[in-house]
Amino acid sequence: MSGGGRRSTSTAARLSVLVAVLSVPAFTGVWELVARSGIVNAVLFPPPSTVAVAVLEWIRSGQFFGDLVASLSRVAAGFAIGAAGGIVLGVLTGQFRLVSSLLSPLFHILRPIPPIAFVPIVILWFGLSETGKLFLVVWGVFFTVWLATHIGVQKVDRGLIRAAQMLGTPQRHMLWEIVLLGALPYITVGLRTAVSISFYTLVAAELAGAFSGIVYRIEIAQQNMQTGQVMGGLAALGLLSFVADRSFATLAERAVWWR
Amino acid sequence: MTPSLLRPDQPLRLVDTYPPSAPALQAIIRVEDLSIVFDGPSGQVIAVDRVSLAVAQGEFVSIVGPSGCGKSTLLNAMAGLERPFEGQVLIAGEAMRAPRPEIGMVFQQPHLFPWKSVRRNIAHGPRALGKPKAEALRIADDLIEMIGLTRFASAYPHTLSGGMQQRVAIARALANQPRVLLMDEPFGALDAQTRAVMQDNLLELRERINATIVFVTHDIDEAILLSDRVLIMSAGPGRILRDLQVSLPRPRSSAIVAEAAYLALKRDCLDLIRSEGRRAFEQMEIRT
Ligand SMILES: Nc1ncnc2c1ncn2[C@@H]1O[C@H](COP(=O)(O)OP(=O)(O)O)[C@@H](O)[C@H]1O
Ligand SMILES: [Mg+2]
Repeated sequence: MSGGGRRSTSTAARLSVLVAVLSVPAFTGVWELVARSGIVNAVLFPPPSTVAVAVLEWIRSGQFFGDLVASLSRVAAGFAIGAAGGIVLGVLTGQFRLVSSLLSPLFHILRPIPPIAFVPIVILWFGLSETGKLFLVVWGVFFTVWLATHIGVQKVDRGLIRAAQMLGTPQRHMLWEIVLLGALPYITVGLRTAVSISFYTLVAAELAGAFSGIVYRIEIAQQNMQTGQVMGGLAALGLLSFVADRSFATLAERAVWWR
Repeated sequence: MTPSLLRPDQPLRLVDTYPPSAPALQAIIRVEDLSIVFDGPSGQVIAVDRVSLAVAQGEFVSIVGPSGCGKSTLLNAMAGLERPFEGQVLIAGEAMRAPRPEIGMVFQQPHLFPWKSVRRNIAHGPRALGKPKAEALRIADDLIEMIGLTRFASAYPHTLSGGMQQRVAIARALANQPRVLLMDEPFGALDAQTRAVMQDNLLELRERINATIVFVTHDIDEAILLSDRVLIMSAGPGRILRDLQVSLPRPRSSAIVAEAAYLALKRDCLDLIRSEGRRAFEQMEIRT
Protein backbone atom coordinates (compact mmCIF):
# COMPACT_ATOMS: atom_id res chain seq x y z
CA MET A 1 0.00 0.00 0.00
CA SER A 2 1.34 3.38 -0.92
CA GLY A 3 -0.07 4.97 2.26
CA GLY A 4 1.57 2.36 4.45
CA GLY A 5 4.82 2.74 2.54
CA ARG A 6 4.81 6.48 3.03
CA ARG A 7 4.11 6.08 6.73
CA SER A 8 6.94 3.62 7.25
CA THR A 9 9.33 5.92 5.35
CA SER A 10 8.49 8.84 7.60
CA THR A 11 8.90 6.63 10.68
CA ALA A 12 12.35 5.63 9.45
CA ALA A 13 13.22 9.28 8.83
CA ARG A 14 12.10 10.26 12.32
CA LEU A 15 14.07 7.40 13.86
CA SER A 16 17.28 8.41 12.10
CA VAL A 17 16.87 12.03 13.26
CA LEU A 18 16.42 10.77 16.83
CA VAL A 19 19.53 8.58 16.59
CA ALA A 20 21.54 11.49 15.18
CA VAL A 21 20.48 13.76 18.05
CA LEU A 22 21.30 11.12 20.68
CA SER A 23 24.57 10.01 19.06
CA VAL A 24 27.00 12.41 20.74
CA PRO A 25 25.37 12.29 24.22
CA ALA A 26 25.36 8.48 24.02
CA PHE A 27 29.05 8.24 23.17
CA THR A 28 29.88 10.81 25.86
CA GLY A 29 27.91 8.73 28.35
CA VAL A 30 29.75 5.53 27.39
CA TRP A 31 33.08 7.33 27.63
CA GLU A 32 32.14 8.64 31.11
CA LEU A 33 31.17 5.13 32.29
CA VAL A 34 34.28 3.48 30.86
CA ALA A 35 36.61 6.13 32.28
CA ARG A 36 35.03 5.88 35.75
CA SER A 37 34.83 2.08 35.81
CA GLY A 38 38.59 1.70 36.13
CA ILE A 39 38.93 -0.36 32.93
CA VAL A 40 41.22 2.35 31.57
CA ASN A 41 43.63 4.69 33.30
CA ALA A 42 41.52 7.72 34.26
CA VAL A 43 44.58 9.98 34.29
CA LEU A 44 45.33 9.25 30.64
CA PHE A 45 41.68 8.98 29.60
CA PRO A 46 39.85 11.46 31.82
CA PRO A 47 36.04 11.23 31.82
CA PRO A 48 34.05 14.00 30.05
CA SER A 49 33.08 15.51 33.40
CA THR A 50 36.74 16.12 34.20
CA VAL A 51 37.26 17.63 30.74
CA ALA A 52 34.26 19.91 31.29
CA VAL A 53 35.63 21.08 34.64
CA ALA A 54 39.01 21.80 33.03
CA VAL A 55 37.38 23.77 30.21
CA LEU A 56 35.28 25.82 32.67
CA GLU A 57 38.42 26.59 34.63
CA TRP A 58 40.19 27.56 31.40
CA ILE A 59 37.41 29.99 30.60
CA ARG A 60 37.10 31.34 34.14
CA SER A 61 40.84 32.03 34.41
CA GLY A 62 40.56 34.33 31.37
CA GLN A 63 43.24 32.42 29.48
CA PHE A 64 40.76 30.86 27.10
CA PHE A 65 39.81 34.17 25.56
CA GLY A 66 43.45 35.17 25.09
CA ASP A 67 44.27 31.81 23.54
CA LEU A 68 41.28 32.00 21.24
CA VAL A 69 42.18 35.48 20.02
CA ALA A 70 45.83 34.52 19.50
CA SER A 71 44.99 31.41 17.46
CA LEU A 72 42.17 32.99 15.49
CA SER A 73 44.17 36.05 14.55
CA ARG A 74 47.02 33.84 13.26
CA VAL A 75 44.61 31.80 11.17
CA ALA A 76 42.69 34.85 9.92
CA ALA A 77 45.74 36.91 9.01
CA GLY A 78 47.52 33.96 7.40
CA PHE A 79 44.41 32.98 5.49
CA ALA A 80 43.77 36.53 4.24
CA ILE A 81 47.34 37.09 3.05
CA GLY A 82 47.75 33.60 1.56
CA ALA A 83 44.36 33.69 -0.18
CA ALA A 84 44.86 37.19 -1.62
CA GLY A 85 48.31 36.23 -2.93
CA GLY A 86 47.01 32.93 -4.28
CA ILE A 87 44.14 34.58 -6.16
CA VAL A 88 46.26 37.35 -7.67
CA LEU A 89 49.04 35.02 -8.80
CA GLY A 90 46.56 32.35 -9.89
CA VAL A 91 44.83 34.83 -12.19
CA LEU A 92 48.21 35.94 -13.58
CA THR A 93 49.60 32.42 -14.17
CA GLY A 94 46.25 31.17 -15.43
CA GLN A 95 45.87 33.99 -17.91
CA PHE A 96 49.40 34.80 -19.09
CA ARG A 97 51.48 31.97 -20.45
CA LEU A 98 54.77 33.79 -19.84
CA VAL A 99 54.00 34.36 -16.15
CA SER A 100 52.97 30.72 -15.90
CA SER A 101 56.20 29.53 -17.51
CA LEU A 102 58.11 31.64 -15.01
CA LEU A 103 56.29 30.67 -11.80
CA SER A 104 54.34 27.43 -12.26
CA PRO A 105 57.36 25.05 -12.27
CA LEU A 106 58.60 26.59 -9.01
CA PHE A 107 55.16 26.48 -7.41
CA HIS A 108 54.64 22.88 -8.47
CA ILE A 109 57.92 21.90 -6.76
CA LEU A 110 57.17 23.79 -3.55
CA ARG A 111 53.47 22.96 -3.26
CA PRO A 112 53.72 19.26 -2.31
CA ILE A 113 56.16 19.91 0.60
CA PRO A 114 54.01 19.72 3.77
CA PRO A 115 54.12 23.17 5.43
CA ILE A 116 54.97 21.48 8.76
CA ALA A 117 58.33 20.46 7.30
CA PHE A 118 59.24 24.14 7.17
CA VAL A 119 59.02 24.54 10.96
CA PRO A 120 62.77 24.04 11.61
CA ILE A 121 63.90 26.52 8.98
CA VAL A 122 61.17 28.97 9.99
CA ILE A 123 62.49 28.91 13.57
CA LEU A 124 65.95 29.70 12.25
CA TRP A 125 64.64 32.51 10.08
CA PHE A 126 62.11 34.11 12.38
CA GLY A 127 62.78 32.67 15.86
CA LEU A 128 59.60 32.33 17.91
CA SER A 129 58.11 35.54 16.52
CA GLU A 130 54.59 35.94 15.15
CA THR A 131 56.07 36.47 11.69
CA GLY A 132 57.23 32.87 11.58
CA LYS A 133 53.77 31.58 12.51
CA LEU A 134 52.15 33.82 9.96
CA PHE A 135 54.62 32.57 7.36
CA LEU A 136 53.63 28.93 7.96
CA VAL A 137 49.90 29.59 7.65
CA VAL A 138 50.36 31.80 4.59
CA TRP A 139 52.54 29.13 3.01
CA GLY A 140 49.91 26.43 3.49
CA VAL A 141 47.01 28.57 2.26
CA PHE A 142 48.79 30.20 -0.67
CA PHE A 143 49.55 27.11 -2.77
CA THR A 144 46.08 25.63 -2.39
CA VAL A 145 44.38 28.86 -3.43
CA TRP A 146 46.90 29.53 -6.19
CA LEU A 147 46.36 26.11 -7.80
CA ALA A 148 42.56 26.33 -7.59
CA THR A 149 42.59 29.82 -9.11
CA HIS A 150 45.08 28.86 -11.82
CA ILE A 151 42.95 25.88 -12.89
CA GLY A 152 39.73 27.87 -12.58
CA VAL A 153 41.05 30.67 -14.80
CA GLN A 154 42.13 28.17 -17.45
CA LYS A 155 38.70 26.56 -17.36
CA VAL A 156 36.83 29.81 -17.92
CA ASP A 157 34.62 29.29 -20.96
CA ARG A 158 36.52 30.77 -23.95
CA GLY A 159 33.11 31.59 -25.41
CA LEU A 160 32.44 34.00 -22.54
CA ILE A 161 35.72 35.76 -23.23
CA ARG A 162 34.98 36.00 -26.95
CA ALA A 163 31.48 37.31 -26.22
CA ALA A 164 32.96 39.92 -23.88
CA GLN A 165 35.55 40.90 -26.50
CA MET A 166 32.84 41.34 -29.13
CA LEU A 167 30.99 43.70 -26.78
CA GLY A 168 34.01 45.95 -26.41
CA THR A 169 34.99 44.95 -22.87
CA PRO A 170 38.28 46.71 -21.96
CA GLN A 171 41.29 44.49 -21.15
CA ARG A 172 41.44 45.12 -17.42
CA HIS A 173 37.72 44.47 -17.01
CA MET A 174 38.27 41.26 -18.90
CA LEU A 175 40.75 40.06 -16.28
CA TRP A 176 39.10 41.26 -13.09
CA GLU A 177 35.51 40.76 -14.13
CA ILE A 178 35.05 38.02 -16.74
CA VAL A 179 38.05 35.85 -15.87
CA LEU A 180 37.87 36.27 -12.10
CA LEU A 181 34.11 35.71 -11.87
CA GLY A 182 34.31 32.88 -14.40
CA ALA A 183 36.85 31.17 -12.14
CA LEU A 184 35.01 32.02 -8.90
CA PRO A 185 33.34 28.60 -8.48
CA TYR A 186 36.79 26.96 -8.54
CA ILE A 187 38.33 29.63 -6.33
CA THR A 188 35.74 29.15 -3.59
CA VAL A 189 36.45 25.40 -3.53
CA GLY A 190 40.16 26.20 -3.12
CA LEU A 191 39.43 28.72 -0.37
CA ARG A 192 37.34 26.21 1.54
CA THR A 193 40.11 23.61 1.42
CA ALA A 194 42.49 26.33 2.55
CA VAL A 195 40.36 26.96 5.68
CA SER A 196 41.15 23.44 6.95
CA ILE A 197 44.78 23.78 5.89
CA SER A 198 45.15 27.02 7.82
CA PHE A 199 44.16 25.12 11.00
CA TYR A 200 46.65 22.30 10.28
CA THR A 201 49.44 24.80 9.85
CA LEU A 202 48.32 26.67 12.96
CA VAL A 203 49.03 23.49 14.95
CA ALA A 204 52.54 23.28 13.52
CA ALA A 205 53.12 26.97 14.09
CA GLU A 206 52.07 26.90 17.75
CA LEU A 207 53.85 23.62 18.54
CA ALA A 208 57.03 25.20 17.18
CA GLY A 209 56.97 27.56 20.15
CA ALA A 210 54.42 30.16 21.15
CA PHE A 211 53.37 32.10 24.23
CA SER A 212 49.62 31.81 23.79
CA GLY A 213 47.10 30.03 21.62
CA ILE A 214 44.91 26.98 21.84
CA VAL A 215 47.54 24.51 20.65
CA TYR A 216 50.11 26.18 22.92
CA ARG A 217 47.69 25.58 25.83
CA ILE A 218 47.34 21.92 24.86
CA GLU A 219 51.11 21.51 24.88
CA ILE A 220 51.51 23.19 28.29
CA ALA A 221 48.73 21.02 29.74
CA GLN A 222 50.43 17.93 28.36
CA GLN A 223 53.69 18.87 30.09
CA ASN A 224 51.75 19.17 33.38
CA MET A 225 49.84 15.93 32.82
CA GLN A 226 46.56 17.92 32.79
CA THR A 227 44.88 15.52 30.39
CA GLY A 228 41.44 17.05 30.98
CA GLN A 229 42.78 20.37 29.75
CA VAL A 230 44.47 18.62 26.77
CA MET A 231 41.20 17.09 25.67
CA GLY A 232 39.32 20.32 26.31
CA GLY A 233 41.83 22.05 24.04
CA LEU A 234 41.36 19.43 21.34
CA ALA A 235 37.60 19.81 21.55
CA ALA A 236 37.90 23.60 21.29
CA LEU A 237 40.17 23.30 18.26
CA GLY A 238 37.80 20.82 16.59
CA LEU A 239 34.79 23.02 17.27
CA LEU A 240 36.57 26.13 16.03
CA SER A 241 37.70 24.45 12.82
CA PHE A 242 34.21 23.03 12.27
CA VAL A 243 32.53 26.41 12.75
CA ALA A 244 35.06 28.07 10.44
CA ASP A 245 34.45 25.47 7.72
CA ARG A 246 30.66 25.69 8.01
CA SER A 247 30.57 29.48 7.96
CA PHE A 248 32.91 29.53 5.01
CA ALA A 249 30.73 27.05 3.14
CA THR A 250 27.74 29.32 3.69
CA LEU A 251 29.77 32.34 2.64
CA ALA A 252 31.03 30.54 -0.48
CA GLU A 253 27.51 29.71 -1.54
CA ARG A 254 26.63 33.38 -1.28
CA ALA A 255 29.80 34.36 -3.14
CA VAL A 256 28.73 32.38 -6.21
CA TRP A 257 25.47 34.31 -6.02
CA TRP A 258 24.10 33.39 -9.43
CA ARG A 259 23.85 29.66 -8.75
CA MET B 1 -6.05 26.23 -47.44
CA THR B 2 -3.73 28.92 -46.19
CA PRO B 3 -3.23 31.72 -48.68
CA SER B 4 0.06 31.56 -50.50
CA LEU B 5 2.71 33.89 -49.22
CA LEU B 6 4.38 33.84 -52.60
CA ARG B 7 2.98 35.90 -55.42
CA PRO B 8 2.45 33.61 -58.42
CA ASP B 9 3.14 36.45 -60.84
CA GLN B 10 6.61 36.97 -59.44
CA PRO B 11 9.03 34.49 -60.99
CA LEU B 12 11.43 32.89 -58.55
CA ARG B 13 14.94 33.15 -59.78
CA LEU B 14 18.12 31.62 -58.57
CA VAL B 15 21.11 33.44 -59.98
CA ASP B 16 24.58 32.20 -59.38
CA THR B 17 26.95 35.15 -59.26
CA TYR B 18 30.09 33.52 -57.93
CA PRO B 19 32.84 34.55 -58.25
CA PRO B 20 31.84 38.21 -58.01
CA SER B 21 32.75 39.80 -61.33
CA ALA B 22 32.73 43.42 -60.23
CA PRO B 23 32.98 44.66 -56.64
CA ALA B 24 29.60 45.59 -55.23
CA LEU B 25 29.39 49.34 -54.91
CA GLN B 26 28.17 49.88 -51.36
CA ALA B 27 29.72 46.75 -49.89
CA ILE B 28 30.09 47.15 -46.13
CA ILE B 29 31.88 43.82 -45.74
CA ARG B 30 34.59 42.88 -48.16
CA VAL B 31 36.56 39.64 -47.82
CA GLU B 32 39.54 39.60 -50.14
CA ASP B 33 41.45 36.40 -50.94
CA LEU B 34 41.17 35.31 -47.34
CA SER B 35 43.01 32.18 -46.24
CA ILE B 36 43.18 30.90 -42.69
CA VAL B 37 45.48 28.07 -41.67
CA PHE B 38 45.60 26.21 -38.35
CA ASP B 39 48.42 24.14 -36.95
CA GLY B 40 46.74 20.81 -36.35
CA PRO B 41 48.24 17.69 -34.75
CA SER B 42 48.93 16.23 -38.22
CA GLY B 43 50.31 19.30 -39.94
CA GLN B 44 48.60 22.42 -41.19
CA VAL B 45 44.86 22.57 -41.81
CA ILE B 46 43.58 25.04 -44.38
CA ALA B 47 40.26 26.05 -42.83
CA VAL B 48 39.50 28.87 -45.29
CA ASP B 49 41.02 28.84 -48.77
CA ARG B 50 41.25 32.07 -50.80
CA VAL B 51 37.68 33.21 -50.14
CA SER B 52 36.44 36.47 -51.60
CA LEU B 53 33.01 37.92 -51.01
CA ALA B 54 31.21 41.20 -50.57
CA VAL B 55 28.11 42.00 -48.56
CA ALA B 56 26.11 45.11 -49.32
CA GLN B 57 24.86 47.49 -46.66
CA GLY B 58 21.62 46.12 -45.17
CA GLU B 59 21.89 42.75 -46.88
CA PHE B 60 21.09 39.43 -45.19
CA VAL B 61 23.58 36.82 -46.38
CA SER B 62 23.74 33.20 -45.27
CA ILE B 63 26.75 30.94 -45.46
CA VAL B 64 25.78 27.28 -45.81
CA GLY B 65 28.02 24.25 -45.71
CA PRO B 66 28.63 20.94 -43.97
CA SER B 67 30.11 21.06 -40.49
CA GLY B 68 33.86 21.49 -40.42
CA CYS B 69 34.00 23.33 -43.76
CA GLY B 70 35.28 26.55 -42.22
CA LYS B 71 32.09 28.59 -41.75
CA SER B 72 32.89 29.57 -38.17
CA THR B 73 36.49 30.36 -39.05
CA LEU B 74 35.36 32.64 -41.87
CA LEU B 75 32.84 34.36 -39.58
CA ASN B 76 35.41 34.71 -36.78
CA ALA B 77 37.75 36.39 -39.24
CA MET B 78 34.96 38.87 -40.06
CA ALA B 79 34.57 39.41 -36.30
CA GLY B 80 38.27 40.08 -35.82
CA LEU B 81 38.58 37.02 -33.57
CA GLU B 82 40.72 35.13 -36.08
CA ARG B 83 43.74 36.59 -37.88
CA PRO B 84 44.03 36.12 -41.65
CA PHE B 85 46.90 33.96 -42.84
CA GLU B 86 46.60 35.62 -46.22
CA GLY B 87 44.26 38.23 -47.59
CA GLN B 88 42.09 40.50 -45.48
CA VAL B 89 38.63 41.35 -44.23
CA LEU B 90 37.51 44.94 -44.61
CA ILE B 91 34.48 46.20 -42.76
CA ALA B 92 33.40 49.75 -43.55
CA GLY B 93 36.71 50.06 -45.37
CA GLU B 94 38.81 49.17 -42.34
CA ALA B 95 40.82 45.94 -42.00
CA MET B 96 39.65 43.69 -39.15
CA ARG B 97 42.51 42.96 -36.80
CA ALA B 98 40.60 42.82 -33.50
CA PRO B 99 36.92 42.82 -32.48
CA ARG B 100 35.13 46.14 -32.91
CA PRO B 101 31.95 47.01 -31.00
CA GLU B 102 30.20 48.13 -34.20
CA ILE B 103 30.28 44.45 -35.18
CA GLY B 104 28.02 42.23 -33.09
CA MET B 105 28.25 38.46 -32.81
CA VAL B 106 25.80 35.76 -31.75
CA PHE B 107 27.35 32.33 -31.21
CA GLN B 108 25.79 28.87 -31.38
CA GLN B 109 25.85 28.79 -27.58
CA PRO B 110 24.37 31.88 -25.89
CA HIS B 111 27.54 32.47 -23.80
CA LEU B 112 25.65 34.75 -21.43
CA PHE B 113 27.52 35.94 -18.36
CA PRO B 114 26.10 33.55 -15.73
CA TRP B 115 26.68 36.04 -12.91
CA LYS B 116 24.59 38.75 -14.54
CA SER B 117 20.83 39.05 -14.79
CA VAL B 118 19.20 39.27 -18.23
CA ARG B 119 19.06 43.03 -17.89
CA ARG B 120 22.72 43.41 -16.92
CA ASN B 121 23.85 40.96 -19.61
CA ILE B 122 22.23 43.17 -22.23
CA ALA B 123 23.54 46.34 -20.58
CA HIS B 124 27.09 44.93 -20.58
CA GLY B 125 28.01 46.24 -24.04
CA PRO B 126 26.86 49.85 -23.55
CA ARG B 127 28.56 49.86 -20.12
CA ALA B 128 31.77 48.50 -21.63
CA LEU B 129 31.68 51.35 -24.14
CA GLY B 130 31.44 53.85 -21.29
CA LYS B 131 27.74 54.73 -21.40
CA PRO B 132 26.33 55.84 -18.03
CA LYS B 133 24.61 53.09 -16.09
CA ALA B 134 21.12 54.59 -16.35
CA GLU B 135 21.38 54.89 -20.12
CA ALA B 136 22.75 51.35 -20.49
CA LEU B 137 19.87 49.96 -18.45
CA ARG B 138 17.36 51.93 -20.47
CA ILE B 139 18.78 50.45 -23.69
CA ALA B 140 18.57 47.01 -22.06
CA ASP B 141 14.96 47.50 -21.02
CA ASP B 142 13.94 48.52 -24.54
CA LEU B 143 15.57 45.43 -26.00
CA ILE B 144 14.07 43.17 -23.32
CA GLU B 145 10.66 44.45 -24.35
CA MET B 146 11.47 43.82 -28.00
CA ILE B 147 12.45 40.18 -27.33
CA GLY B 148 9.39 39.74 -25.12
CA LEU B 149 11.22 38.82 -21.91
CA THR B 150 10.07 41.69 -19.67
CA ARG B 151 8.99 39.22 -17.00
CA PHE B 152 12.49 37.76 -16.90
CA ALA B 153 14.50 40.99 -16.79
CA SER B 154 16.06 40.20 -13.42
CA ALA B 155 16.33 36.42 -13.93
CA TYR B 156 19.72 34.75 -14.16
CA PRO B 157 20.56 32.97 -17.43
CA HIS B 158 20.53 29.40 -16.05
CA THR B 159 16.86 29.78 -15.14
CA LEU B 160 15.91 30.42 -18.80
CA SER B 161 15.21 27.94 -21.60
CA GLY B 162 17.68 27.59 -24.49
CA GLY B 163 15.52 29.67 -26.82
CA MET B 164 15.10 32.44 -24.25
CA GLN B 165 18.84 32.49 -23.58
CA GLN B 166 19.53 32.84 -27.29
CA ARG B 167 17.06 35.73 -27.52
CA VAL B 168 18.97 37.45 -24.71
CA ALA B 169 22.23 36.81 -26.58
CA ILE B 170 20.78 38.46 -29.69
CA ALA B 171 19.54 41.43 -27.64
CA ARG B 172 22.95 41.71 -25.99
CA ALA B 173 24.64 41.84 -29.39
CA LEU B 174 22.15 44.50 -30.57
CA ALA B 175 22.66 46.72 -27.51
CA ASN B 176 25.75 48.31 -29.06
CA GLN B 177 23.69 49.08 -32.21
CA PRO B 178 26.10 47.17 -34.45
CA ARG B 179 26.28 48.00 -38.15
CA VAL B 180 27.05 44.35 -38.83
CA LEU B 181 25.55 41.40 -37.00
CA LEU B 182 27.36 38.07 -37.36
CA MET B 183 25.42 34.95 -36.36
CA ASP B 184 27.12 31.55 -36.11
CA GLU B 185 24.45 28.81 -36.22
CA PRO B 186 22.50 30.72 -33.56
CA PHE B 187 19.55 28.32 -33.67
CA GLY B 188 21.59 25.15 -34.21
CA ALA B 189 21.27 23.98 -30.62
CA LEU B 190 17.49 24.52 -30.42
CA ASP B 191 14.68 22.03 -31.02
CA ALA B 192 12.77 22.27 -34.32
CA GLN B 193 9.73 24.07 -32.91
CA THR B 194 11.74 26.67 -31.01
CA ARG B 195 13.93 27.13 -34.07
CA ALA B 196 10.91 27.97 -36.27
CA VAL B 197 9.73 30.53 -33.70
CA MET B 198 13.20 32.05 -33.50
CA GLN B 199 13.42 32.27 -37.31
CA ASP B 200 10.14 34.18 -37.41
CA ASN B 201 11.38 36.43 -34.59
CA LEU B 202 14.54 37.15 -36.52
CA LEU B 203 12.58 37.94 -39.69
CA GLU B 204 10.48 40.45 -37.73
CA LEU B 205 13.49 41.85 -35.93
CA ARG B 206 15.25 42.37 -39.21
CA GLU B 207 12.48 44.70 -40.38
CA ARG B 208 13.14 46.90 -37.35
CA ILE B 209 16.92 47.12 -37.23
CA ASN B 210 19.05 48.14 -40.16
CA ALA B 211 22.08 45.99 -39.48
CA THR B 212 23.75 44.00 -42.19
CA ILE B 213 23.52 40.34 -41.20
CA VAL B 214 25.82 37.43 -42.02
CA PHE B 215 24.23 34.20 -40.87
CA VAL B 216 26.02 30.85 -40.75
CA THR B 217 23.97 27.65 -40.83
CA HIS B 218 24.12 24.09 -42.11
CA ASP B 219 20.36 24.13 -42.69
CA ILE B 220 19.51 25.03 -46.30
CA ASP B 221 15.85 25.72 -45.42
CA GLU B 222 16.88 28.22 -42.79
CA ALA B 223 19.29 29.90 -45.20
CA ILE B 224 16.72 30.32 -48.01
CA LEU B 225 13.98 31.41 -45.63
CA LEU B 226 16.01 34.18 -44.03
CA SER B 227 18.39 35.44 -46.68
CA ASP B 228 18.71 37.72 -49.65
CA ARG B 229 21.71 35.68 -50.74
CA VAL B 230 23.02 32.24 -49.90
CA LEU B 231 26.71 31.41 -50.18
CA ILE B 232 27.42 27.69 -50.49
CA MET B 233 30.70 26.50 -49.00
CA SER B 234 32.55 23.26 -49.67
CA ALA B 235 34.65 21.31 -47.21
CA GLY B 236 38.39 20.72 -47.10
CA PRO B 237 39.67 23.27 -47.86
CA GLY B 238 36.88 25.75 -47.15
CA ARG B 239 35.84 27.52 -50.34
CA ILE B 240 32.76 29.26 -51.62
CA LEU B 241 31.19 27.29 -54.48
CA ARG B 242 28.01 29.20 -55.21
CA ASP B 243 26.52 32.60 -54.57
CA LEU B 244 22.74 32.34 -54.94
CA GLN B 245 20.29 35.25 -54.99
CA VAL B 246 17.05 34.38 -53.19
CA SER B 247 14.25 36.33 -54.82
CA LEU B 248 11.49 35.37 -52.38
CA PRO B 249 9.36 38.40 -51.53
CA ARG B 250 9.37 39.84 -48.03
CA PRO B 251 7.92 39.87 -45.45
CA ARG B 252 8.42 36.14 -45.10
CA SER B 253 7.52 33.64 -42.41
CA SER B 254 8.65 30.11 -41.65
CA ALA B 255 5.32 28.89 -43.10
CA ILE B 256 6.62 29.28 -46.67
CA VAL B 257 8.91 26.27 -46.40
CA ALA B 258 5.85 24.07 -47.04
CA GLU B 259 4.81 25.86 -50.23
CA ALA B 260 5.32 24.47 -53.73
CA ALA B 261 7.12 27.53 -55.09
CA TYR B 262 9.51 27.46 -52.21
CA LEU B 263 10.15 23.76 -52.67
CA ALA B 264 10.92 24.32 -56.35
CA LEU B 265 13.42 26.97 -55.36
CA LYS B 266 15.00 24.69 -52.83
CA ARG B 267 15.21 21.87 -55.38
CA ASP B 268 16.98 24.20 -57.81
CA CYS B 269 19.31 25.14 -55.07
CA LEU B 270 20.09 21.54 -54.19
CA ASP B 271 20.55 20.70 -57.87
CA LEU B 272 23.07 23.47 -58.17
CA ILE B 273 24.90 22.18 -55.17
CA ARG B 274 24.76 18.59 -56.33
CA SER B 275 25.91 19.42 -59.85
CA GLU B 276 29.18 20.31 -58.24
CA GLY B 277 29.43 16.64 -57.40
CA ARG B 278 30.75 17.14 -53.93
CA ARG B 279 30.43 14.26 -51.51
CA ALA B 280 30.24 16.67 -48.67
CA PHE B 281 26.74 17.70 -49.60
CA GLU B 282 25.21 14.26 -49.70
CA GLN B 283 23.72 14.92 -46.32
CA MET B 284 21.58 17.68 -47.83
CA GLU B 285 19.21 15.31 -49.65
CA ILE B 286 15.71 16.59 -50.24
CA ARG B 287 13.63 15.12 -47.49
CA THR B 288 10.30 16.09 -49.04
N1 LIG C 1 41.47 26.73 -33.30
C1 LIG C 1 41.63 25.74 -34.22
N2 LIG C 1 42.75 25.00 -34.25
C2 LIG C 1 42.92 24.03 -35.17
N3 LIG C 1 42.02 23.71 -36.10
C3 LIG C 1 40.87 24.39 -36.13
C4 LIG C 1 40.60 25.44 -35.19
N4 LIG C 1 39.37 25.94 -35.44
C5 LIG C 1 38.89 25.25 -36.50
N5 LIG C 1 39.79 24.32 -36.91
C6 LIG C 1 39.62 23.42 -38.06
O1 LIG C 1 39.27 24.18 -39.17
C7 LIG C 1 38.24 23.55 -39.90
C8 LIG C 1 37.03 24.43 -40.02
O2 LIG C 1 36.43 24.58 -38.74
P1 LIG C 1 35.14 25.48 -38.49
O3 LIG C 1 35.38 26.83 -39.06
O4 LIG C 1 34.82 25.41 -37.05
O5 LIG C 1 34.03 24.71 -39.35
P2 LIG C 1 32.43 24.89 -39.31
O6 LIG C 1 32.09 26.08 -38.50
O7 LIG C 1 32.04 25.00 -40.74
O8 LIG C 1 31.87 23.63 -38.72
C9 LIG C 1 37.97 22.22 -39.22
O9 LIG C 1 38.71 21.22 -39.87
C10 LIG C 1 38.48 22.44 -37.84
O10 LIG C 1 38.93 21.22 -37.29
MG1 LIG D 1 30.89 26.16 -36.73
